[in-house]
Order: sequence, then C-alpha cells, then structure tokens
Amino acid sequence: MNAFFATIHTSFRRQLTYRAANLSGLFTNLMFGFFRAAVLIALYKEQTSVNGLSINGAVTYAGLTQSLIGVMSFFHWYDLMHTVYDGRVGADLLRPINYFSYWLGIDIGRALGALIIRGLPLFLVFSVFYDITLPESLIQWNLFALSILFALLISFSWRFLVNLASFWTPNALGIGRFAFGLSWTLSGFYFPLALFPDWLANFCRLTPFGASLYFPIQVFIGNVQGAEIMQGFFIQVFWVVTLIILGHIVLAQGVKKLVIQGG
Amino acid sequence: MEAIIKADRLSKDYKIYKDHKGYLGALRNLFDRRFTLVHAVNDVSFRIYPGELIGYIGPNGAGKSTTIKMLTGLLVPTSGEVQVNEFIPWKDRKDYVKHIGAVFGQRTTLWWDLPVRDSLELLKHIYEIPSDRFKQNLDSFRAILELDAFMDTPVRSLSLGQRMRADLCAALLHDPKLIFLDEPTIGLDVVAKQRVREFIQFINAKRGTTILLTTHDTADIAKLCKRIMIIDHGKILYDGEFDELIKYYGGSRVLSVEFAEFYQDPTIDQAKIIQRDGVNVIYSFKREDISASKLIHQLSEKYRIRDLEVQDQAIEDVIRDIYENQLLYN
Amino acid sequence: MRRNLSLLFRLLRIQIRSQLQYPASFVMEVLSQAMILGFFFVAFAVTLSQFGDIGGWTLGEVALLWGLAEFSFGMMDMIFSGFDYDAFGPLVIKGTFDQLLLRPVNITMQVLGSRFVLRRLGKIIEGLIIFIIGLSLANVDWTLGRILYIPVLIFCQVLFFGSLFIFGATTTFWTKERLEILNVFTYGGSEIMSYPMHIFPRAIRLLFSFVVPAIFLSYFPMVYILDKPNPLNMPVFTSFLAPFIAISMFWLSLKFWRFGIKNYQSTGS
Repeated sequence: MNAFFATIHTSFRRQLTYRAANLSGLFTNLMFGFFRAAVLIALYKEQTSVNGLSINGAVTYAGLTQSLIGVMSFFHWYDLMHTVYDGRVGADLLRPINYFSYWLGIDIGRALGALIIRGLPLFLVFSVFYDITLPESLIQWNLFALSILFALLISFSWRFLVNLASFWTPNALGIGRFAFGLSWTLSGFYFPLALFPDWLANFCRLTPFGASLYFPIQVFIGNVQGAEIMQGFFIQVFWVVTLIILGHIVLAQGVKKLVIQGG
Repeated sequence: MEAIIKADRLSKDYKIYKDHKGYLGALRNLFDRRFTLVHAVNDVSFRIYPGELIGYIGPNGAGKSTTIKMLTGLLVPTSGEVQVNEFIPWKDRKDYVKHIGAVFGQRTTLWWDLPVRDSLELLKHIYEIPSDRFKQNLDSFRAILELDAFMDTPVRSLSLGQRMRADLCAALLHDPKLIFLDEPTIGLDVVAKQRVREFIQFINAKRGTTILLTTHDTADIAKLCKRIMIIDHGKILYDGEFDELIKYYGGSRVLSVEFAEFYQDPTIDQAKIIQRDGVNVIYSFKREDISASKLIHQLSEKYRIRDLEVQDQAIEDVIRDIYENQLLYN
Repeated sequence: MRRNLSLLFRLLRIQIRSQLQYPASFVMEVLSQAMILGFFFVAFAVTLSQFGDIGGWTLGEVALLWGLAEFSFGMMDMIFSGFDYDAFGPLVIKGTFDQLLLRPVNITMQVLGSRFVLRRLGKIIEGLIIFIIGLSLANVDWTLGRILYIPVLIFCQVLFFGSLFIFGATTTFWTKERLEILNVFTYGGSEIMSYPMHIFPRAIRLLFSFVVPAIFLSYFPMVYILDKPNPLNMPVFTSFLAPFIAISMFWLSLKFWRFGIKNYQSTGS
C-alpha cells in the first residue's frame, strides 16, 4: 500500500512541474469552454429550460467538461503503450507492486495534479464569466466527489485496457485512436446528453463513457434526483468492477504472451 | 595546397536562459528573460587540407558539435569566418551541402519507416546523382559495408551497427569531397566498430575524401588519425600529430609491485608512488627517465619483491590526463 | 521548382505506399475516423432538433458551414501533415530537422514531404458527407457565382488552416515543445467556423476577425451564398475577402517560417 501512495505522490509532483504545458492547456480548455457555452446560449435563446436542463445548467456543463478533460485524460493517453514499445514494461512488471495498481497510482497522481493546476482554476475563471449552477448541499458536493472518484477509476481502467492492446500488436495506436474517439463521443462531451432524444441519452448513460463524464456532471448541476442517483452510482460501480476484472484478465493473458514470445 | 576548410577566429556564443520559477514566473518568462552568455566556441582558427583524416576530440560540451554545426552550415557563427570548399556554409546552404556528407552517430539521415533501398533511392534524386555513378557507388559500398543482408529492412528495425553502415553509405553516394563523421562508432560492438573504421580508412585512402571525425573512442583516433585537434572550453588546445602528443604527454608507464613484506617508505628515485595499499604499491615513471629493467633492478636490490607487472599508460588515460589536468593550457 | 515538385511527389508516393501496406486495416481506420468525427455533427443535429434553429440558421445551413470547414481542414491536415506542430516539434527537438538542412533541396518542400497522413481521408469524407447533407437540406438559390465560389472557398480555407499550421510549427523553434494553446486557433478555429459566427460573444468574434481572421473564410462568404441577413451589419464586400485574406495569411506564415529558420540557424538548439 505504501508503494501505491508513493507512486501517486511522485506522479503528482511530476505533473506539477509541467508548468508551461499546464498553463497553455488551461487556456485552451477555457477557450473551448467559451465556444461551447456560446453555442448553448445561442440554442436556448429565450428559453430557460429544455428537457429539464436549465440554461445555467447547460453552460455549467460546458465549463465542467472542459475542466475535466485534463483530469480524466479523455482525448489520449498512450503512456503505457509507449513503455511496451520501448521495453520499459519489463522493469515495470518486475516491480513489487501490482502492475494495474502501479499505473493506477501514476494516473491518480496525474489526475490530482491536473485537477489542482488545470481543472479548478479553469472552472473558477469560467464561473467569473457565466452564471454557474453549483451543488446546493453538502450531500450533493460529497456525492459529486464520490462520482468523480468512480469516474476516474472507470476512465483509467478503460484506458489501461486499450493500452494493453500494445502487448499484442505493434499498431495499437490505431486501436487507441478509435477507442478514445468512441469514449469522447459517447461520454456526452460535445453536448449535454439531456438535450438528446431519450433513447440515445439512455444508451450513452449506460456505457462506461457516460458513467465517467455525464453522470458526475449531472450530479454537480443537480439534474438527477433520488432513484436516478442510485441508478447512476450502480452503473458506475458496475463498470468499475467489470473493467478492473477485465483489465486483470487481459493483463494476465498479455503477460503470458510477453513471457512466451519475449515481447 | 589550398585548404578545404578555413576557419578564422571562429566564435559561437549561446544564451542560456534562466527561467523564473512558479506560475507567475512562467508568465514572466514570456517578457523578461535572464540569461548568461556561454562561449561554446571561442576564437578558433584552423586549416584542413584535401585528403586529410582529422580527429576532432574533446570532452562533452567542449564545443565539438557546435564547431561541426558551423562547418556544415546548420549554425551561423557569432563572429569569425568559415569557408569550406570555397563556400560560406550557412549562406549558400543548398549549393554547399551538395558537396559534403555528414553522419551523426546518434541520429539517422535515412527515412525511419522506409527500407534502406528506398532511402538510398530517394537520396539519388535528392542529390541528382547520375544513374551509372549511383550504381557504381552503391555496388562498391554494398560489398564493403555488407549491406545486402538488410537492404529491404525498414530503418527503424535495423541494429545500431547496421544503421550506421547504411548511414555511411548514404553519406557517400554523391561523392562528397568532404565528410563530417560525428561519433560514428558510438554504441557499437567491437566487430561493428572495426568494420566502420576500415570503411573510413578505405574512403580516405582510396577516394581521397577529406574526413573530419569526432569521437569519444580514443581507439578510433589511434587507428585512423594522423592529425588531431583537441578542443576544450571552446578553445583549441592542441592541433598537430597524434604521435607527437603521445610522445610528449603520454609515455608514462606504470609498475605494480607486491612486496614480500611491509615497508615503511618504499620510495625510489625517478619513480613516483601513485597508489599504496599495504604491501601493494604502484609506481609511475617516464621512459626517458629510467628504463623498466633498471627500475626493477634498483627495487629488488633494496626490497624483497613477491610479484610485479609493467604496463603502458592507456591512450585514453593520456587524453583524460590532458583534459583533467589541463596540461595544454599554457 | 519542377525538380522540387517531382521530388515532393516522390516522397509522398513512397509514404502513401507504405501507409497502404495493409489496405483492409487502412480502410477500417479511415471509416471509423469518419464515423467518430461525424458524431460531433450528429450530436449537434439531435441537439438542434430540440430547438429548431441556431442564431436564425437551420440545420442544413449550418451543415454547409460545418462540412466545408471539416473538409478543408482534413485536406489541409493531410497536405500539411509535415507542419503539424504535434509532429514538427519533436522533429526539431530530436535534431531531425538538422538532417533536412543538410540536403540540397528547398527546406519547405522537404518538410511538406516529410509526412503525409493519408488517414485524414476520414475527416475529408466526413466533411464531404456533412456538406452534401447541407446541400440537400438548405434552400440555396444557386447562381453561377455562388457555385463557383464554393471551390474557391475550399482552396482559401486550406491555405488559411495551412498557414496556421506553419505558424504553429515555426513557434516550436523557440518553445521546443508543442504548446496546446495553438489548438485554440487551429482546431478551435475550425470549430467556430462551423457555426454562424454572430452567435459568439464580441470578444471571441473580434479575436477570430482580426487576430485569426477566420470569419472572412466561412461566415461572411456563407452569408452571401445563402443570402442570409447579416446581424453584424457588415458591408457586402466582406463576403469576398476570403481569397485576399487567405493568400496574405499564407504569405505571412511563409515569411515567419523563413524568419524562424534563420533564427534557428543563429541560435541553435
């Protein structure tokens, strides 16, 4: 367990050192947040609420998705893949820490760093420009924090699984491009899923991608109540468990292959 | 004879920026940057003549690669003049580089994803090499460098040694008068090194190609170069024959002795104790001062010896000595 | 020039050949790219269906803007792959750029020929489909001038996006790393060009009119083609500035590129 926290700590510190990159990433996400908010405002015109989603909620949605990009590392994450291709994977597999936990530690550190120097400042600046919908109670804040934690676990386990493709093929990058494309497509990253037809929104909500972005944001802006919250958490827990188990199974197969064929 | 490379009072300064710390610092860096000036190459002059094979050596950061970059036109000098093959390298880039070749040991000139054959074919068009000439050169290099085994392998899958051989071939297809070889043996195993050295020798001897070679491997120098230039802290410390250098500064020999008993003060004239550990003592002496047999004779008259061994100081140590003790500074 | 071009085509041909080595997986990747990218538009379309119009523009009208920008950006991203700052930055850092300088060929041609990402066809196809959707949905009073202006616009947008890539690549001579901020103008530029730009706040509009003059390449020309009222009250001639703006931007970017190379040669890496 100590090794796990040490990994988080190191990774967190490293993330904080990329100052120029973080600053420019923050500005970029902020600008995209403004673009998306402007489009939503133009769509709503005089309407204050559509499909139960208020205009403020929709704008908050735009700001939150951009704040969470860095944290969830949605667009691309090929770090593990690179270690497979340049051979560092050998040493990593020999570490006295579970390979999945090792990378999870790195990812949690990275996510924490991104949250503090990229996500939070972005959302603060964003909220200066727009009327933001904030959680109204301590319970809601806590539920949001919990949903973010599960979201990160899902997002990481999915990225871990995708990266494992590199154990089998030298061209896992192409698979990654497809898989990550799929994840930001179905996560509700472009437009609030609440504005979609029900069947489509429900489908996205059930995928691990909706569970790792759309659901926490819904909790934040207070657009889900009671049973729906329970349902959302149930979907999250289901994906956390499923993806972690799947990750371990695939990893075991991959290691077997690596050992037999020598990479 | 007219020199092929003329460097006169060549200097290159770099600005090393010191970044402001922290988030606000990152912003401040955009407008207000502090720097220190580093003289990477400092008032350097030399001449290189057609057909020479020169070793250009010095410790890391001494100014070697900065010099090479200026000679190849990649870098504009801060001051001074350089003329290679009648060209000012950085001014007439396109015309100038037609007549030179360059191999950088750490990087490849070839296309990463293409088979070696395609890479070489592309170079034929880039340098507008006449077909018959291209074929002649390729055939001859293929044989000497034994390229056939991997002509159809993509460059990214070549071993370091194979890649270096392919790069050497690529650098010479257009019959350059002059080639720059930057660390061509770095990271290679003994056999591969030997093969590269033989090829360099062949090119220089049979084709009369002028070669400027930088290397960390003193064996390269010892085997290939008659003349060497040593650079450190941006200054040329030595420019002359390699043998001369070794005669002056090297020539130190080492005698390791294991005495039969412990002596309080086993000193002897004309030899210096450089290491001592109980009954084991290492002496250093100069060939000119005393011969090995005389020294052993003197020692054995005074002390009881169990075992001994005489060694020449390695060339590497000589060069290291020169860098470390700055022997050439005056 | 002829020699440069023939060399460029040779470089491109070789890369295309190696990318087509596995045709089946290539086709799969292109199609899946087209699908994934296209989903953004689908998401927009289903969202728009809840509202009816955006800033007075219908789905078909926006699709024309959207398709044009995607198609042109995809074309540019393929042709100017070598200047993609994601790839060019590492080229400078690893010293590969030095190798290009050591060859007796025009450096711009070499960078153009250094990379050609054929799978951008995915984005091109996606843009084309969206544009066709736009054509079928929007009521356009097609005149000869309007028809002819479409290919001109595509050409101008390719040049415009290309000049942004060249600007971006050049900055890496100084920054030595790829800065995400450039995405605001390239990918962000293409995103806001996909909407009728009067919907954006004044500050954003000014940024994309005077710093990065994207508005002249999509919104103003489309106002002419669709004969829409212009809420920004711009004079009619602004619809026809696209060629002038695109060529000037491109020329400027090449100037900056040359300046960057010169600076690179005097400061080193």
